[in-house]
Amino acid sequence: MTLSAICAKACAGGRLSPAEGLDLLAHAELLELGGTANEIRFRKNPEPRVTFHVDTNPNYTNVCNVDCIFCAFYRHPGEEGAYTHSVDTMIVKFRESAANGVTTILLQGGVNPALPFGYYVELVERTLREVPGVTPHFFSTSEILGMARVAHLTVPDVLRRLWDAGLRTIPGGGAEILSDRVKKKISHLKGSSAEWADVMREAHRIGYKTTATMMYGHLETDEDIITHLDLVRALQDEYHGFTAFIPWSFKPGNTPLEKIIPEYATPVRYLKMIALARIYLDNFPHIQASWFSEGKKTGQIALHFGADDFGGTLQEENVHAAARFVNKTSTGECIAMIHDSGFAAAQRNTVYDILRVYEAPSVAA
Amino acid sequence: MHIRDRNLIPVWEKIQRGERLTLDDGLRAYTSGDLIGLGAMAGAVQKDKSGDAVYFVLNQKIEPTNVCVLSCKFCDFAVRKGDPRAYEMSVEEILGKLSPEIREVHITGGMPPDWPWDRYLEILKAVHDRLPEADIKAFTAVEIDFFHKKFRMPVAEVLRQLQSVGLRTMPGGGAEVFSERVRRLLFHQKIGAKAWLDIHRTAHRLGIPTNSTLLYGHIETLEERLTHMIRLRELQDETGGFLTFIPLAFQPGETGIKPANRFTSAADDLRTIALSRLMLDNIPHIKAYWVMLTGEVASVALNFGADDMDGTVGGEKIAHDAGALSPMTMAKETIIRLIRDAGKIPVERDAYYNPLHVYHDRVVGKIPYLNSVPFYARLERRGFRILPVVPRRMGILSALGEIDAGLFSLMDYLRQENDMELMGWCIATRDQVKSVMLFSKGGWRELDGSRIGITDDTATSVQLLNVLLEKKYGVHARFERLHQGVNAYDGLGAVLLIGDEALRRNKHGLKGFDLVYDLAREWYEWQKLPFVFAVWAVRRSVPPAVKEELSGLLKQSLESAGGDFVPLAGTHGRRIGLTDAETQEYLSGFNYSLGEREREAIAVFRRLLPAVASGALASSRDMEAR
Repeated sequence: MTLSAICAKACAGGRLSPAEGLDLLAHAELLELGGTANEIRFRKNPEPRVTFHVDTNPNYTNVCNVDCIFCAFYRHPGEEGAYTHSVDTMIVKFRESAANGVTTILLQGGVNPALPFGYYVELVERTLREVPGVTPHFFSTSEILGMARVAHLTVPDVLRRLWDAGLRTIPGGGAEILSDRVKKKISHLKGSSAEWADVMREAHRIGYKTTATMMYGHLETDEDIITHLDLVRALQDEYHGFTAFIPWSFKPGNTPLEKIIPEYATPVRYLKMIALARIYLDNFPHIQASWFSEGKKTGQIALHFGADDFGGTLQEENVHAAARFVNKTSTGECIAMIHDSGFAAAQRNTVYDILRVYEAPSVAA
Repeated sequence: MHIRDRNLIPVWEKIQRGERLTLDDGLRAYTSGDLIGLGAMAGAVQKDKSGDAVYFVLNQKIEPTNVCVLSCKFCDFAVRKGDPRAYEMSVEEILGKLSPEIREVHITGGMPPDWPWDRYLEILKAVHDRLPEADIKAFTAVEIDFFHKKFRMPVAEVLRQLQSVGLRTMPGGGAEVFSERVRRLLFHQKIGAKAWLDIHRTAHRLGIPTNSTLLYGHIETLEERLTHMIRLRELQDETGGFLTFIPLAFQPGETGIKPANRFTSAADDLRTIALSRLMLDNIPHIKAYWVMLTGEVASVALNFGADDMDGTVGGEKIAHDAGALSPMTMAKETIIRLIRDAGKIPVERDAYYNPLHVYHDRVVGKIPYLNSVPFYARLERRGFRILPVVPRRMGILSALGEIDAGLFSLMDYLRQENDMELMGWCIATRDQVKSVMLFSKGGWRELDGSRIGITDDTATSVQLLNVLLEKKYGVHARFERLHQGVNAYDGLGAVLLIGDEALRRNKHGLKGFDLVYDLAREWYEWQKLPFVFAVWAVRRSVPPAVKEELSGLLKQSLESAGGDFVPLAGTHGRRIGLTDAETQEYLSGFNYSLGEREREAIAVFRRLLPAVASGALASSRDMEAR
C-alpha cells in the first residue's frame, strides 16, 4: 500500500496493522503524519480546545533498587542524598499544593524495599481525608509490583486494597518501551512488558483509570515503538481503562546511558511520536503533548499534530531535573501557550472532566 | 495534502495555477487556525524548489565592534564609545577567530564614530587573504548607508571598493519591517525602506547577491509583515539578486518594547516561515535562522517551507545580548542531525548555494526542469531523498560520490560509465525538443569564428552544439560561459539556452537573436535518430534490492501519468508561462523509456564526440577552455 493510502485508511477510521504503522513511522513525511493525526484528533475531539490540568509531581522517596540506566534520580538505600519522606511531610506538601490550586497530585517514588505496604495505604487515605479538592494519582506499576513483593500480596490484592483506601487513578509511568529486548538492556531488574501490562489490566478490571506512557529516544528501534503501541492498543480493547497516551523523550543528563546516547531526541521525532500515537491508537480518547518534556515551543506545535491535551502545570518536578532538564510554567502561562497555539484552553481534572474553559482572545497573530 | 480549513482552498488553488498571492490571500492564510494545512502548502512549494535539500554553511560570525552611533530601541548589543562594555577588535583578533574549514565569514557590527574607511577595507582584505576559499558576506544596508554618508562616497562606490577587497555577498539585516509607522516608533535613526531597497538594488546590479530579512513579533501588524514581503518580491522581480529570505523572530530581552519574556509563539514562527515561502515565489530560499527561532522550531520549520538552516554561526552576539535562548554556536553534527531527523538531506553549501557535500545516503538527483517532472511528481519518497540540482552540478556531485542515482545529463553519465549503470529510462526527443535552443544572429555557417554564450547549467547540450557546429556544418566557434542573471549578450553571435529558460524564450523570443534553432531537430534531420539528453543511472555499488526498489517507484510514478501530463506538471508549466495545452504538447514530445533507437543514438553521438578517438571523453573543463 502507498503511504497516502495508509493515511487515508486511518483518516477513514480504519485500524492500522503493525506493518502499516511501521511503514508510516519509517517513511511518511512529517506533515503527512501530522495532517493525518490532526484529522483524527478533530474527529475524536471536535472542539478546537486543548485541555490541561493543574498538578504537581512530588516524590516521597528516591531510594530505589531497580538500577535503570536511563535514570538520574534514584539513590541506593544508605547512599548519600537518599531520602524518604514521612506521610506527615507529604501531607504538608500536598496541602501547600492544594492551596496553590493543584487538583492532581501525581506521586511516584523509587522502589524502596524498606517501606511497608501500610505506608502507601496511609498516604492514600490521609490525602483524601486531609487534603480536600485534590485527586491522588499515585504509584507507577514498578512501585505496585514492589509493594506486592514487600507485602507478599498478589498485584490484584495490592490494587484492591489501594482502591479500598480511595485511590481511583494511576499514572502510566514505568512503561518505557514495552519491548523486552530493550527492557533487558536499560532496566533489566524492572519487570517485563507483560508485568507492566498485567498491572494495568488488573487495575482497569477493578475500575481504575490510568494513562499509558512511552519513553523513546534511547536504544529502541522503530519496530520496538510499534510493538509498544500495539501492546497498549490491545490492552485498551479489553477494558478501555486508559485515558490518555503520553510519550516523551529520554533525557540523558547524569544517567549511565548518557555515554551512549548523549542527546535527547529531536523535536521532529517527538512530533512524529505524537502523530503516530494519534493515528495508531484508535481506541484512546486523548493524546497528551507536553510543554514540559520537550520544551515549550515543541509542546505548542504538538497541539497541531494530534494532541488534544497539554498535560499538567507540574508545580514540582524532580526526575527530569535530576537529568539537568528543567522547565517551569504557571497556570497563566500554560493558558497563554495554548491560546497562542490557536486553541481555547480548558482546565480539566485527572480523569478529563472539564472544570473551566478559558476562551482564546479573538485575534492570534 | 491535509487542508482542513476551507478558507485555505482558494489560496492553494491559486498556487497550483501558478498565480501570485496578494496581500488579502496572505492575510487569509495567516489567520487560518489550520497550521498543518498552511505548512503543507508551503512544504509543497518548498519541495518544488528544493526537493528534500536543506542547506547549511560552515560560517563564522564576526562583530568587529559593538560601539554604535545609533541607539535603536530593540537592540541590546550596541553601546556608546567609552562605555565599559565597549570593544573594538584588531585585525589580528579577527583573524584569530577564523578556522580553516570556514566557508563563509559573516561580518557586521556596530557603527563607531571614529573608524577610518581604510580600517573596513583592511579587515575584509585580511580575512580574504587568510581564507581565500571562504566567501565574505559583510555589512548590512544600514552600515553601507553609514559608510556612504560618513565617507562621502556614492553607495555604488562603497560597494565597488568593498567588492575589490573580497566582498561576495551582503547580509539582509537592517530591513526590520518596511513601515514608516514602526520605524518612527522603534528605530527612527535607521534608514527606511526606500534606502534599504535602493542599496540592495545597487548591490544586485554590481553582481553582489544579498539576503533579505523581516524582523517580526514586536509591534508590527500582519498587514505590515505582508506588505514588507511584497516589496521584497517586487525588487526581486526587478533584479533577481536576493538569495534568501530570513524571517527574524524578535527577541524581547531588555529592549523594553514588549512585555518582558514574551517570545514569539511557535505557531507564529511557523506561520511566518510558511507565509514567506508562499508569498515570495521568486526568492529561491527561505532560512530558518536557528539563532532567533531556537533549534527546536528551526528544525520543524524545515517542513514548513524553510530550506536553509544557516550555519554553525560561531560566536553570534547581537541576538544573544537580547536574550536569545539558543546556544551561541551549533556543532555541524547537530545541524546535520536536526536536518536528517526532519526527513531532509543536509547539504553543505557555499555562499551562492552551490552544493558542496551531501550528508545523506540514497540521494536521487533531480534536474529542476519541466521535462523531468513526470518522473518525480508522484515518486513516493520512501527511503529515497531528492536533491534538485542543475545538470552540470549533478555530474560534479555524482563524480564525488555524493549522490547515488538520478536523471543525468548524458555527458555526465558517459563520463562516469565505470561507476554508473543505466536504469532503462531517459529523456529522449522524437524530432524536436523546444527546450534546447540556439538563439542566433545569423545562419549556422555565419557562426564561424563567432562567440556563443552558453549557460552555466549545461553539459550535454553544449556538446551537442559543438558536434553540430563542427561535424554537421564544419564551423568553429568560441564558447563563453554566461552566469545566471547576467544578460549582457552584446558581442555574441548566438546564445544557447536550455531547460525552462529556453521554453520561456522560445515563446517570447530573444531580442536581437532572430534565428532560433532547435538542436534536437537539427540532430534528427542529420542523423534520423532521436537525441537522448538525459538518462536515469544508478551507482553500481548500490545494493541490488535498493536499485530494484527505486526502479519500481520510478515505473509507478511514470505510469501514474498515463500520458496525461497536466495533472503532474501543469503547475510547473504555468509558472514558466506555458498553457496546459503547451505543457501537454511539450511533454508528450519526449520518449521516456530507453529503447533500441535511443541506445543507437547514444552510440552515434558518442562516436562524434571530439575526444573519443583518443579514448577519453572531454571533461567540461576542456569545453570551458575552448
